[in-house]
Amino acid sequence: MVVVIDPHSGVPVFRQLRDQIRFQIVSGMLKPGDELPSTRALSAELGLNPMTISKAYSYLEMDGLVEKRPGLCLVVNELADDDIDTRRVMQFRHSAKPVAAIARQLGLSRQKALEIFAETLDGTDGAGAASASEEVG
Amino acid sequence: MANAFELEDLTKKFGSVVALDKVTLAIPERRVVGLIGRNGSGKTTLMHHVVGLQLPTHGRCTTLGEPAATLGSEQLAEIGVVWQESRFLDWMTVERHIRYVASFYRRWDREREQRLLHELELETNKRVGTLTPGNAQKLGLILAVCHHPRLLLLDEPMSALDPISRRQVLAFLLELLHEDEVTTVISSHVLRDIEEIVEWIVCLDRGRVSVDCSLDSLQERYSEWVVTSARPLARSFEEPWILEQRTNNHKAHLMVRDAEDRIESFEGKYEVQVHSQPLNLERIFPLLHHRRNP
Repeated sequence: MVVVIDPHSGVPVFRQLRDQIRFQIVSGMLKPGDELPSTRALSAELGLNPMTISKAYSYLEMDGLVEKRPGLCLVVNELADDDIDTRRVMQFRHSAKPVAAIARQLGLSRQKALEIFAETLDGTDGAGAASASEEVG
Repeated sequence: MANAFELEDLTKKFGSVVALDKVTLAIPERRVVGLIGRNGSGKTTLMHHVVGLQLPTHGRCTTLGEPAATLGSEQLAEIGVVWQESRFLDWMTVERHIRYVASFYRRWDREREQRLLHELELETNKRVGTLTPGNAQKLGLILAVCHHPRLLLLDEPMSALDPISRRQVLAFLLELLHEDEVTTVISSHVLRDIEEIVEWIVCLDRGRVSVDCSLDSLQERYSEWVVTSARPLARSFEEPWILEQRTNNHKAHLMVRDAEDRIESFEGKYEVQVHSQPLNLERIFPLLHHRRNP
């Protein structure tokens, strides 16, 4: 499991951790039955307070994504297919918001924005790395 | 959980100047606190009271269960301090100075001392008086932590360090906090450093405590809204929870407090779209001193 924490992003660290692990579970990168690293191991690896890790883990547990097995670390739960679908849609909705905000700021028409998005999705947008680093906002 | 120290309605006056103004604050054991505030807000004076170097005009301070004014050698041996301007015995070499300080402590950890000297690249045969400000700070830190204190007070401990030494000291502090579970108060104007290691923020504003909460909840309370609209925006938005705003035609940046639940109604009221962004401590700090703050 790879997580990257940015202590200067302004997003509480427990949230960053929770969101990244949640993404990995919902996207299938972490599979049912996979064990999460122990609080101690992860806090040592990331240089974080163990309390922060526990806080993130307890949110995941409350959310039904992981489960404590006796004597074991936390284990990724098996989720129903429709549950996974709902979570994926929610996740994507959330990520699409800032993109929509930028389209509005740029004054792109709805049609143009959707067109670009479709092209981006299909990988036919032809935009290379050149424009990828441009700051917007 | 017991408190490492607590201040009760503590006021400190220097003549007519009120340095601390009815401060009530309790820091539980094992908490890692960032003490922030502008110059002259009372951070150093507060730390002086915790170790009994200064006495309150009114109120009290209790440290490790004892009145701070009468801490005995037993309690003092459990405290480590790095002052902003450390005073050393300049004529001693680094090695001799360390041995001298170590002789006061039963629990001096020679291994930690050696590791730190090595990691922080401090030469032991140099005279203390000839050290650069950065190296003097490193020495101060080594002298403050090798007896495994239960309470560690760090007043601007990294102000003179270069970026690489600073990383080393930060990494070491993180390790120390996890290893010893030491209650730590660190004051610094370098909020990026603070943000990396603390879980709790106490902010002083002209001698008063203006913030006493977890870093998480501080980060969740304050945010920046990017407001966009297809139509020209009003020149300003009159809402009491907006602390700052910059508006041009179609876009506004608002600094807001406790506003996460207000997005929808705001969007409806002004016919705009809101994108809420997090703020790091450096950007939250000026907002804490805004006159609209309670």
